[in-house]
Amino acid sequence: MDGAKYMNCPSCARQLESAELACPHCGGPTGAELDCFAALGLAPALVIDGSALERSYHDLTRRMHPDRFVRRDPSIRDASLRATALLTRSYRTLREPVARGTYWLMRRGVKIEDNNRGVPVDLADLVFEVQDQLAELRGAERGSTAWCALADSTALRRHEVAAQEHAAAADLEANFRRWDANDGDPAALTEELKTVLARIAYLRTLGRDVDRELESVEAA
Amino acid sequence: MARIFGIDLGTTNSLIALMHSGQPRVIPDIRTRNLLLPSVVAITPDGEVSVGDQAIAMEPHLKSAGNGDSANGSPAATESHGVVIRSVKRFMGLGGADLAEEDRRRYAFADFSGPVVRFKVGDKTFTPPQVSAEILKALKFRAEEALGNDEKVERVVVTVPAYFNDAQRQATKDAGKLAGLEVERLVNEPTAASLAYGLQKLTSGRVAVYDFGGGTFDVSVLSVKDGIFEVLSTNGDTHLGGDDIDLIIVNSILGELPEAMRGDRGVWNTVRLVAEDAKKLLSFQEGVVVEIELPGRVLKHEISRAQLEQFAAGLIDRTIECSRRALKDAKLTPGEIDAVVLVGGSTRMPLVRKRVQDLFGREPLCSLDPDHVVALGAAVQAGILMGTNDDMLLLDVVPLSLGIETVGGVVERLIFRNTTIPTSVTEMFTTAVDSQTHVDIHVVQGERELAADNRSLARFKLGPISPKPAGVPRIAVTFLIDANGILNVMAADEDTGRGHMVDVKPSYGLTDEEIERMLEEAIDHGEEDVERRLLITARNDAEQILAAINKQLGEYGRLVDDDERREILAVSAQVEEARAGTDRDRISQLVERLNELTTPFAERIMDESIKLALEKKSVGELT
Repeated sequence: MDGAKYMNCPSCARQLESAELACPHCGGPTGAELDCFAALGLAPALVIDGSALERSYHDLTRRMHPDRFVRRDPSIRDASLRATALLTRSYRTLREPVARGTYWLMRRGVKIEDNNRGVPVDLADLVFEVQDQLAELRGAERGSTAWCALADSTALRRHEVAAQEHAAAADLEANFRRWDANDGDPAALTEELKTVLARIAYLRTLGRDVDRELESVEAA
Repeated sequence: MARIFGIDLGTTNSLIALMHSGQPRVIPDIRTRNLLLPSVVAITPDGEVSVGDQAIAMEPHLKSAGNGDSANGSPAATESHGVVIRSVKRFMGLGGADLAEEDRRRYAFADFSGPVVRFKVGDKTFTPPQVSAEILKALKFRAEEALGNDEKVERVVVTVPAYFNDAQRQATKDAGKLAGLEVERLVNEPTAASLAYGLQKLTSGRVAVYDFGGGTFDVSVLSVKDGIFEVLSTNGDTHLGGDDIDLIIVNSILGELPEAMRGDRGVWNTVRLVAEDAKKLLSFQEGVVVEIELPGRVLKHEISRAQLEQFAAGLIDRTIECSRRALKDAKLTPGEIDAVVLVGGSTRMPLVRKRVQDLFGREPLCSLDPDHVVALGAAVQAGILMGTNDDMLLLDVVPLSLGIETVGGVVERLIFRNTTIPTSVTEMFTTAVDSQTHVDIHVVQGERELAADNRSLARFKLGPISPKPAGVPRIAVTFLIDANGILNVMAADEDTGRGHMVDVKPSYGLTDEEIERMLEEAIDHGEEDVERRLLITARNDAEQILAAINKQLGEYGRLVDDDERREILAVSAQVEEARAGTDRDRISQLVERLNELTTPFAERIMDESIKLALEKKSVGELT
């Protein structure tokens, strides 16, 4: 759809030598489709300084946004729209570690299957206990002493799930640092990254299940 | 290049504003100095339209033309008598089937099945965008008159509730087009409000905007930094506003009336107006006694603030619930909010302020008039588009998720709610059977799992696809939500790179052809419209002065001698006669003459009242 190499800048009509967000000649939006890192002017790396990322996003969006190109030629406005949508998508992807890690794998041609691969082994105990407890809570008579006790212990379980997720997030950061430092075999790092991401995804789903139950407890 | 104006097209009132020396200003009506234009449109049986106070003034006339009959009777009985439409914004983007029972009772509609609601007046029908266009035209007229230098209002920014869906936004753009305006941008109302405050004191931090208007409720959470106003989340209800509080009061008053009167459209309207006034008064006093003139008697009804608060509590609860959800989506706690901004007339209610303050644990900002702040923000955004405020930038979000219907009626979400706009997503489509030439795609908006439970946005056919075995064609469809929050769809064949025709059929709203046709009709009447508006204004002026003179001759008759009285009555009769005709200049000239003629009389009345006031005062001082 975007043969960037053969494109001319929609604003100044000069030929573009490489795919870039802004035309090197006039600074206008080119509308080129870019990698998330390239869009935000970053070298591909997994450890990212959040505030620098935000600054870059703000700065580029301010220059590329359709608000700056009202009443200009439709091709310029179209390029501005594409550039801004790309910046937003890239920012959203890179800002959040799980999305960033997933994108990193995708960029290397690794697909993450839907997380239906079964429970990660070391989480099995926690998962079954929590599910049992939720079932019991749902079965108990609302407002009864047993129900209240179950609600309390479910709230405690929620903290346990959160703590596990927190630990997994730290593992993710560690994996990111090793990628950036070239510390390890890429195939092994890929496997590790996949495992941590699956683990976080699982814990999040579990957390949501518990939250839903706790919300209905609060409502009652 | 023509300047861009900011318009707040509100449920209850509408305003137009512009940037003046770096500050946004609301443009007043040059005659009345009013900043608010009531969003009321009157249409007479012969299709004559008036807007604002003039439309409100029409209400008794349309009523006397037979609007007092029962809504329980045949609706046909009322249809030929014209209509006064309030809160048309509630109908924007609705299909006939979406009409609530309450609304069906209030107005006559042409059909209940089409993709667009149509108000029925005589043998004509009017869609909500057409009615809204009349409000926009009145604002355009007001601004052009006030500027008075032949500057035309052609380009505008119009605000919409943040929680408006695609159809409602599209309907608002259509209204602009029908009013002959180029809508350069739709801006969400709470975000506009934050821009207005942004020029003043909100330069960085996290802001919650609580916008409780006449018909809609919105809440948005923003992060403000380096001139960038980034919306983190938004929530709301497009059918929750001050109108609903009025309705509860109305029902409580109607409860005191005999069964037979409750269904009467005339009585209903009277009670509604009284209820609205009572609600407003109760923001400043603890109790109010309302008097309702009914056929044959006057009903007195007492309402206390405590009672009103009891009525409104449930509705306010819903706004607080929306606010909590917005905070949750923004991943923030109430304590992490640095400033809370109040917008909309309903935030004048003390209970609303208290509940908002309780939620956020801080006193809300309301230094800008909650009725003006959205229009001011629209003007600021207009400044951004003109390049005069270019250190500021607004990044809004899409309020509702967008997805497509897949096998079994399940929704596959492509764009999640609270995604920053503009945004786009590209999805691959292929064929299911050999030699299939078209793929049908159904786009829906909403958060529910099943397509049927969400709002249908559009259906389109992808193709023609050159015949190939099933699964071979690869068509990339890009769903792009622009900065107005409106969906655009593009498709391209992955193999050939060729663009595909996408014939998008919106599920609701007007087709391009319908808008074209309405526009052609409107252009034919363009000149006439302006002339008609001026005529209506002149007639109203005449009516006002006649009523005033009539009253004063009754009260202060002793202050005029016989000759003077005879002359005043003669010119009054001429004014009366001219008013019935269509010669606007003649009406204006005669009104002017009557004005001059009665000036000495008016001065005498003034002297007399001052004397009286002074006497009263001295009496008061003595006792």
